[in-house]
Amino acid sequence: MTPESASSSHDPGVVARLRRAFRGTLVWYGFVLPPLFLILVFIGYPTAIAFEQSVFTQVPGGGQKFAGTFHFERLITDRVFWGALGNTILLGVAFLVIIIPLATILASMLNRVRRGATPLKVIYFLPQLTSSVAIAIMFNYVFQPDWGLLNGALRAIGVNQLPLWLADPRYDLTGSRAAATILAVWAGLGYFIIIVLAGLQAIPTDLYDAAAIDGASPLQSWWYVTLPSLRPTFIFLIITGSIDQLARFSDLWTLGGPGGSPARSLQSIVMYIFQQGFVGSDFSLAAAAAVVFFMIVLVVTTIAFWGFLRREFSAVR
Amino acid sequence: MEQRLTPAPKTRFRLLPHDWRSQTGMSIALWIGAFFMIVPFVWMLTTSLSRKADVSMPRTPSLWPPDPSLFNYKIATDNLPIIRLYLNSLIVVGATTAGYLFFCSLAGYAFAKGRFPFKSTLFVLFLATLFIPFETRMIPLYLFMGQVHLTNTYFALILPFLAGGFGTFLMRQTISGIPDELVDAARIDGASEFRIFWTIILPLCRPTLATLAIINVIWRWNDVLWPLLVTSDSSLYTVTQGLALEGHSQGTYTGVALATAVLAIGPVIVAYLFLQRYVIRSVVSSGVKG
Repeated sequence: MTPESASSSHDPGVVARLRRAFRGTLVWYGFVLPPLFLILVFIGYPTAIAFEQSVFTQVPGGGQKFAGTFHFERLITDRVFWGALGNTILLGVAFLVIIIPLATILASMLNRVRRGATPLKVIYFLPQLTSSVAIAIMFNYVFQPDWGLLNGALRAIGVNQLPLWLADPRYDLTGSRAAATILAVWAGLGYFIIIVLAGLQAIPTDLYDAAAIDGASPLQSWWYVTLPSLRPTFIFLIITGSIDQLARFSDLWTLGGPGGSPARSLQSIVMYIFQQGFVGSDFSLAAAAAVVFFMIVLVVTTIAFWGFLRREFSAVR
Repeated sequence: MEQRLTPAPKTRFRLLPHDWRSQTGMSIALWIGAFFMIVPFVWMLTTSLSRKADVSMPRTPSLWPPDPSLFNYKIATDNLPIIRLYLNSLIVVGATTAGYLFFCSLAGYAFAKGRFPFKSTLFVLFLATLFIPFETRMIPLYLFMGQVHLTNTYFALILPFLAGGFGTFLMRQTISGIPDELVDAARIDGASEFRIFWTIILPLCRPTLATLAIINVIWRWNDVLWPLLVTSDSSLYTVTQGLALEGHSQGTYTGVALATAVLAIGPVIVAYLFLQRYVIRSVVSSGVKG
């Protein structure tokens, strides 16, 4: 008889207690540690490195030396960076300003229409399932100035001055930024409609009954009851939409390459990071831009999380 | 008009419902909108089926190919090993989704039902990852993959996405809603903690797991940024990545580029048409854009 088996047969209490203690606490580490390890290695570590690289300069041939705010100074004196940041914000704001009212009107109609709501929903949601790369390839041709779908249709209805769309880098309503915004609204409409629809369906019907008793017309009750009741939905869409737009990359990259052609008019902040870090191997500048990007997203996410997302998530059961 | 119609006697026979005008108006507006959503797809399909599209395009767009031919598809499949790309995408999406569900459920179970030191600290740490956009860490992560010699392997495409704060949070929420009595009863029967997790908890979480799976599939399938960074070997390209790179180089061959795009999105759209109820429900319930 080995000592171990002797002790276990003579004193079952110790083993049972150990087992209970193991089950009580230690076993949970068996659950938490594997995902924790993955998160530390693939999220925590590279994030820390991004912060580290932003304040160090890589010395050719290995090693690095402390650079303080040097790379951030390079960043804020780089007009390309400001251009990319400006584009990202401009495109994001234009997107939200157009898509939220549009989605609200369409969703309100979808909510009331008695026939065909399901196929309509499926159609509006279709681009959401299509990768933004495929959408960008498609719209690259839709916006083609000579024979593209859009200009072809405009010519067919008698428009003579056909816009250049993606070939025109100016800040105008028919330039590349406008085209990129049309593309984004077209692609994102389904998601916004679906979320507004969910918001509409959560409005208690007695509010409408009360409005009807007060003699409100359908349009009046939409304006005075529906829209104010959708406030949380709008906040949710503005915040998540902003975060999403700040990280815009694949469609713009497909349209204009890492430089956001034409004339950098479509370069977003993520494309700037990609171009500096991956194409140009200037890791410190890319890291500085990544840190600034992180800060911007952090501000938006903090508002989102504590103000709204917490409640939104807890609704999912 | 409306005012006068409302007090009409109830016995009056109506051929049309009283709101037929607003119903018709809304239907027309919605179907016009739907037309604009569909028409680029139709035009893409038409153009991809037209052999002439590579040389000259009609000045007035046509929604029916003037010269139907599969020529562009032949060129597209010659240029791009589309089956291989699909296989790669399936491997990457399948492995990341299975892993993501598994590891997020593991952590979610511990945070929902477990009692152990540093539980809340660790949970906050998991949640903190929600605040770190992928774009912040992508360049260091890419360098790290190079250091451990994983670039141009499936591992580089899979490992970074096996666990995350969002999934952990969603699973913890769901598992918290499962009564403790159920878990305690199984414990009294002598089931191990992992057995309880695997045979009792997970089956009860099926709706949330489905939601998380759908969201994750959409995320990973459409991702192009990370594959562009870590894989330069064309035999490892995913569908989206192959399309992005090929779409660029085929820029002047309209028909071929659009045929490639159709091959890349067609099967996804067909799958969506079958699963649309679940897909839309998942997006609504999680509030997350796919």
